[in-house]
Parts: sequence; C-alpha cells; structure tokens
Amino acid sequence: MDLRHYVIAHEPYYRAAADEVDLFQAAYADRMPMMLKGPTGSGKTRFVEHLAWKLGKPLITVACHEDMTASDLVGRFLLDAQGTLWHDGPLTLAVRYGAICYLDEIVEARQDTTVVIHPLTDDRRILPLEKKGEVIHAHPDFQLVISYNPGYQSVLKDLKESTKQRFGAIQFDYPPSAIEAEIVAHEAGVDRNLAQQLVGIAERSRNLKGHGLEEGASTRMLIQAGRLVSRGASLQAACRTAIVLPITDDEDIRAALTAAISACL
Amino acid sequence: MASSPLDRKRRLLEALPDQPEFVSTLDLVWRQAQSSFPGARLGEWLEACHGLAESDVGRDCVVSYVRSAPAIASAAGADAALSIARMVSETAARAGDRAAASLAMVASRAARRLANGAAFAEWLRVIQIVVAAAPESVTPLLDRSESLLQELGVQGFEAWVLNGVRQGATDPQKRLAFFTRRDQQTLRTASHEEDEVSLSDVERQLKAFIMALWHMAPPIRALSNGAPDRPRRASFANGIVRLPSSFRGHSRDEASLLYSAAIAHVAAHLQFSRMKFAIGSLKPLQMALISLIEDARIEHLAMRQFPGLGRLWRPFHIAMPSGALTAPALMARLARALIDPGHADDNGWIQKGQEMFFAEEARWEDPGISRSIGGLLGNDLGQMRVQFNARTYSVEPAYRDDNQGLWVFDDAGAPADEQETILEAVRFEREDDAEQPDRERETPEDDADGQEANRAALVEVDSEVGIPVARYPEWDFLIGRERPQWATLVEYEASEGQADAVEDILHRYPVLEQRITKLVRSAKVSRPQRLRRQQEGDRLDLDACIGAAIDQRLGDTPDPRIYARLERRFRDLSVLLLLDVSQSTNDVVPGAGRKVIELEREATALLAHAMAGLGDPFAIHAFCSDTRADVRYYRLKAFDAPYGPAAKRHLAGISGRFSTRMGAALRHAGRELSARMSYRRLLLIISDGEPSDVDVADRRYLVEDARQAVKSMARLGVDVFCVGLDAGGDNYLTRIFGRRNVLQIDRVERLPEKLSMLYFRLLGS
Repeated sequence: MDLRHYVIAHEPYYRAAADEVDLFQAAYADRMPMMLKGPTGSGKTRFVEHLAWKLGKPLITVACHEDMTASDLVGRFLLDAQGTLWHDGPLTLAVRYGAICYLDEIVEARQDTTVVIHPLTDDRRILPLEKKGEVIHAHPDFQLVISYNPGYQSVLKDLKESTKQRFGAIQFDYPPSAIEAEIVAHEAGVDRNLAQQLVGIAERSRNLKGHGLEEGASTRMLIQAGRLVSRGASLQAACRTAIVLPITDDEDIRAALTAAISACL
Repeated sequence: MASSPLDRKRRLLEALPDQPEFVSTLDLVWRQAQSSFPGARLGEWLEACHGLAESDVGRDCVVSYVRSAPAIASAAGADAALSIARMVSETAARAGDRAAASLAMVASRAARRLANGAAFAEWLRVIQIVVAAAPESVTPLLDRSESLLQELGVQGFEAWVLNGVRQGATDPQKRLAFFTRRDQQTLRTASHEEDEVSLSDVERQLKAFIMALWHMAPPIRALSNGAPDRPRRASFANGIVRLPSSFRGHSRDEASLLYSAAIAHVAAHLQFSRMKFAIGSLKPLQMALISLIEDARIEHLAMRQFPGLGRLWRPFHIAMPSGALTAPALMARLARALIDPGHADDNGWIQKGQEMFFAEEARWEDPGISRSIGGLLGNDLGQMRVQFNARTYSVEPAYRDDNQGLWVFDDAGAPADEQETILEAVRFEREDDAEQPDRERETPEDDADGQEANRAALVEVDSEVGIPVARYPEWDFLIGRERPQWATLVEYEASEGQADAVEDILHRYPVLEQRITKLVRSAKVSRPQRLRRQQEGDRLDLDACIGAAIDQRLGDTPDPRIYARLERRFRDLSVLLLLDVSQSTNDVVPGAGRKVIELEREATALLAHAMAGLGDPFAIHAFCSDTRADVRYYRLKAFDAPYGPAAKRHLAGISGRFSTRMGAALRHAGRELSARMSYRRLLLIISDGEPSDVDVADRRYLVEDARQAVKSMARLGVDVFCVGLDAGGDNYLTRIFGRRNVLQIDRVERLPEKLSMLYFRLLGS
C-alpha cells in the first residue's frame, strides 16, 4: 500500500516564531515522539503539515474524540462474505508504511486508548496487534506526534504520567505581535496596518482569558476576520462575525469585547 | 385622679378575670415593662393593653402584643410600642388575627435589629401602608421582614415593598405572588427604578471591558446617589474604583454608555496617572484645573493606544462656546477644547489652555505638565474673578471622576467636603486591610445602621449559649474500652458575617471558578454510558461478536458476553463537610499571608459552589472544643437548607477558637450523615492539627479515640476522608483515617483549588 495521498504536495505557509522548526527536525532525525502543546488556533496543525512537507514524509492525522477506542486507531476485523477481514487503522498504516502520525487533541481520547501508543514511543518501536496476533516493527520513517492543549486540561482529562514522559514537547503560543501581524497579513491577504489592528484586537480578547473567556481569539480567528475584510466586509462586522460571536455566548462579555474592539479602531 | 401603675395593673387584672393567659403574660413581662416604660407611659401602656383586651381582637394577638411591647419600648421607645397597640387592632380588622398576632412579634425583632427609633418608625410606616393597601400580603411580608431587613436595610425594604404594592396595583393575587416570591431578582431591582440602568446591571460588563483594554481588575464598588443638587461622580482611591449606583436622569442606552465612558476614564487614570500630586499651597480652583488637565492628558494617552475611546468620550462634551462666564462653565468648555483639538472656542483663556496643552504633545507622558499648565490656568482664572465654589463644583462631563485619587491630602489643605470623601476612602482601605467579614459596608448611610446592627450582634455573641444535644463515648486506648457518655456535644448557633464576603471569594479565583463550573457541567449531565461485553443487553456488541465468530472458527470456546447496552448512571451522594475551627486555625500561613481559617473558608466556598451546582445534598458543619464538657458544634448549612445568603453568612462568620476534640465531632457528624438516604455518604473533614484538648495530657489518647470514631463510621456506612493541613501531620492522620483516606496538603495556600479538585476526584472513583 502506498501513502501517496497522504503526502503534502505544496508548501504550507508557516512562519517560525523561534527555533521550533530546527528542533523538530532534530527530533525527527532521531524519530523522537513529539508533543505539541498550546491553545487552539496557535498553529500546531499547520506546523506539523509544514514539517511533513519539509521532510517529504506522508502525514496521517487523526482527530481524537471521547468515544475513540483503541481499534479506531489500530484497526479491526470486518466481516465479509468469506469470513473476517482485517482492516488497518490509521496508526497501523503509519507504522507499517512509514508516515508521520499526528494524533490531534489526544486527551480527548479515552485513557485506555492512549496506552496502545506506549510500545511505539519507547525504543521498542513496535505495535502489537493483539487481535491479529501480529507485531509490527515500525517503518524507519514512522514518527508519532501528538497535540495537547493544557487549557482544556481538567482533573478528569489529563494525560497519564507514563504517557507524558515519552514525548519531547514544543510549546506553541500566540506569536509576538509583529510576527502575528505578518502571519495574518500573509494568510488573509490584507495589509500590514489592518493585520496589526486585528492583532491589537486579539490582545484585548486574550486579556479576558480567565475573566469571562476560556481562551482569547486565536491567530486562526484573526485570519478569518482578515479574510472577511479582504472580501469587502467592514472591519467592525468582520470582527463581530469572526471573533465576538463565535468566542462567547455570554452577553456581558460580548458587550465588553465589542466595546474594547471599537476602542481599538 | 392619678393612681399608681400598680393600682392600675390590679384594676386591669380584676377587670379581666376570664383571661388567665393575659394575666400570666402581663405578670411575666411586668418587671421588664416597668423599666422600659418610664413614668406615666407605663399607665398609658396598661390603658392600651386594657383597650386591646376588651376589644374584639383575638386573644392571641393581645397576648403577643403584651409579651412583645416592653422589648419594643426598650429598643425603639415607648411611643413606638404604644402606636403598635393601635396598629394591632387595625391589622386584625383588615388582615385578620394571624397577621395581627405576628405583627407584634415581628415588630419586636425589627426594633431590636434596627435599634433606632427613626428607622423603626420608617419600618412601621411601611407596614402600615401594606396593611391599608394590601392586607392579604401582610402575613407573608411579616414572615420575611427579618431577612429582608438584613438584606436590604430599611430603605431597601421600603423600596421593595412599595414596588410590590405598586406592581400588584389592584390585583391581590399579583401582590401576593410578589410578596411570596423568593428570587433574588426582585430584591435586586428593589433599589432602583425599572427603566434605570444600575451599576449591578453593567458591572460585569465593565469589569470585562477594562480587563480587555488594560488587563486590570480593580475592585468596583457602588456609590449611593448623593444629594440631588450635586450629582455623584465616579471616584477612585487606593486602587478601589467607585461608581455611582445609577446615573439618574439618563436613558437606558445613554447610561450604559456613560458607565463605559466612566470606567474607561478611571482605568486610564489607573494606567497613566502613576503619581499623586501634593496639594501644598494650591487653591481649590487650581486643584480643579490641574485635575482637568490631567484628565485630558491621560485621555489622550489612552486614545493613542485605543483611538476608538475618543468616539466614546467626545459625545459627552457638549459645552458650547457661549453662555455665562462662570468657572464651571469655562472649565467644561476647556475640557471640550482639550479632548477635541478641532473644537474652536473664542474665549482667550480657553484658547490659551488649548495651545499650551497641545504644544506639550511630545511631553504628554509626563504628569508634571498637568501641574504646570493647570497651575498657570488656575492663576489666570483666579484673576478673572469668576465665581468658584469648591463645595458645589462637580466635574463635567458626567463620565469623569471626582479626581480624589490624584491628590495626596494632608489635613490642612483639603477642602472640607473633599476631606469627607477621602475619609470614606481611608475607611474602606482600613476595612479591606483588616479583611473583616463586614468590610462590604459602603455607603455612609449604611454605616450608621450597620454599626448599630453590629453592636446588637456582638451582644448576642457574648452571651452565646449552646444547647447540649448528645453525649458520646470516648475510647480509652489504655483500658481498651469506651468511656460511656464521656464527651458532651453542645450545638451553638453559628455567628453571622457578610454573605458578600463569600461571594467575593468566587471572584478571587476566576479561573478556578470557571473550571469548577465546567466540571460541574460535565459531571452533572448523567451521560449515557455504553457498557460493552455484557452477558445481556439490548444490542449486539459488534467487536465482541466478531471476536466470538473468530474464536468459533479457530475452534476455541467463544466468549458469551457479546451484548452491549446503554445505561445512565445517576449520582446519589450526600456530603457532610466538617471544618476544624480550633484556635490553631488563626495561625497565619507562611507564604500566603493569610490565616488557615480564611483558606478553609475559601476552600469551602468554592467546594460549596461546586456541590450546589451539582445538586448533591450537602451540609457544612464546624467544630471546636473546650474540654469534654463542651464540644462545640456549629451548623453552617444543614442538609435541607439551600446554599443561600444564610449559609453564606454563617460561613463568613466562622472564627477559630478553643481546641480540637475530633472524636465526638466525628461521631456526631457521622450519626447525622448515616441517617441520610443516599447510596454513598461522604464525611469530608478539614483539619489543621493533631486532636487535642486542654483537659487531656496524653497526646495519643484523642488520636486513638478519633481512630475509633472513624472505624465506627465504617459500620454506619459513612466514608470518611480527611484533608490535612499540617505538613507534619502524616503520622497521626494516617493513624486516624488510614493511609488511603488522607490527603496532605503541604502548601496550605493551595487548599482552595485542591479541595474542589479532590471532590471531583472522589466523585470519579
């Protein structure tokens, strides 16, 4: 089986804020499992795509959810006319044929699910398929990357200590305002001034984190607001549509955020 | 012919031979009556009693009046007590005997609470209005009078009641519904008109607004509306922002904008007015002008960062370049000329100010320019001989604050009225520093009432009397037997603090509160759970089926558990939180700068918030001990009571005293908990130290007794869990509770967050 569909053909835009690209390349050279930490919309997924492109490896992404079982990752037997048929799950595919496997929001998955990655993430680099009676030795290209948002972290949902300690980690945060403006300007196709204004607005909303908002406006939100503007929407309306309304249902906080945004303009 | 009161009493009693209850009651209160009705008033009172007894008012009413009147007279004066006699008969006629009987009783309590004749007269007047206009609602109102007075004070009480009477208009049912309704909303709206925006409506929004702008969260307090001739302005001092509780005479939208403009202006001061001006020899007029320039300076700095603020502020500047040449008018015009460089004013003085201010644009960062420009302009204005009265001057436009926070006041320099305001501020500060539970009193009017009420409360505390409720055995490890009936458990009325103090705790931990709310939400919804690989079920478990089919083909025995079913798991849990409030909880926690008991209170408040959100039945009790004859037990919140203002007041009122005789308290709590009809019963105890008491010398004795008590809990079906705050307490706590049932918190300052998280963890297990 070939993983051609999973190879990224064109360079995804990524603006490094620090040395994260070099670090990741070093980690890949050693196939060290990596953990990307940071709030939503801070560029984790884009970063992985960019690196997969740069390394020229296929990328298999799995969005984890709370009902996900180990078989959803590893694979399962299906019934067909002759009897049963084994079907590789996304993780098995990556292990068998050599891809970067990216488990997005790993904490969402049930804790027993995450244990299947343990033998893959130490120096054994094997994936035992218990049901099938097979042990796969990981392809030399295989690397495991997970993302992890400590903001969502609660006592009920946290990575096991034994899982955490297998990974190297890169912290993502909203980039410094000049770089963030550059990103917004590039991605949304707006001029630097407007991008800078959007970043100023985002800073207002990030001030409210923990004081009414669970998370401030992400870079992704700014890009979306910028895109609306570049398609002809007014800045006020774009901010309302792309930032204020999605981010909270709380009337008071909405009003405050609207007032703060209008103070920025 | 004058006769002695004793004669009068004798004659009165003779006249009523058929009312033995009346006679005995009068005898009972006679001594008290003699001291509270001076001179001739005693005779008048007897006359009034007589009149009541002979009228067709129910006997209960008469007896209740006779019993309560002396107490009313001593608290609010003889006149008040006499006027109640008339009201009793009037109430009986209009609203029925039951209302009349409770009137006298409730009145005596109100008199004691208000402890001042004028306030009591006000209360009486309100009741009188209700008797006349809404007789059906008298009884429910009287039933709630006590708690309403506590919540709202007498003015708030009046506003609330009158609002109810007016809303109900001619519909008795509607009125009745209002007076029996128990939501907080009706209370909150009591203090202001319906179409008015009050601070409480917008406070959250304002806080979020300045948090977003400058990431600051100063405490915001309400200012009562001052005299009508001098509108109230916002104010800030010592980091506390005070805003008018409402902006009278502004429409809804306008008032919201005004609040936003005011908070943005004050926040700009906090952000940019980094130093205070010394008054020195400055005259009030100069001070006002320096403040005005400072206002313009910080607004321009704020607008550099947030240009949109100009759109918020400028519309309030409406001073036109015409009109009388009074100082306030000129200053309002100058304010406009300074915020809006495009605004042209033909007055030379204003032009000069405008030029000077904008010439210094490069130096706006420096507060010194406010002082120099303001001083010069003040001199000029002084020479123009315009009228300026510091007493009546109020800053224009309305969103600006009174600039008290800009000045360092020394006693000599400040104008009288400003000093007054400053004194207020100092008082706030002191109260804040002391972290007294009653620091929330804000307005001067409230102060007077509050102090009176406090004095009354203090008297009650001093004469604290408990009711012995049970004797518990104690385990003596030396003889290996229980000493029967050894420790006497005495229940005391919990003292009260201010419920707001507990509310504030939640605001102090915004992140944690939010996290708790989120956890509550996820724990509360009893989500259906899919149980796989079951012997029985309503559907096939596909994975299990496939597994079984494979086993079959391989020739193995298939696992018969191939079904799955959905199940909702409900929670059925009662929690009793037992707090150790012994003397040692007064110790200050190193590093946190706060007392153990305050941390206990905060932790409890957060946990109670979570438990109330989950809907788990819970109780909060507290204990300390003073020898085995007096194990003190306080019920801060009972199982069947709501977690409302009363419980919060009790929680705010806890204080640390005496010792820690844990065993008896555990047994008492366990007994109560074991009577709960729940699947799981959890006794959560927070303790800061080793069990001890002044009458026990052997340190091991009480430890072993507590251990025995915990063992007996298990027999009652109660799970006991202990949170230990004593870093060195590992040994004896594990001895008492068992290793798995103790959580040591080494950094006590983290108790508030730990406790709630622990609770969720216990739930999960």
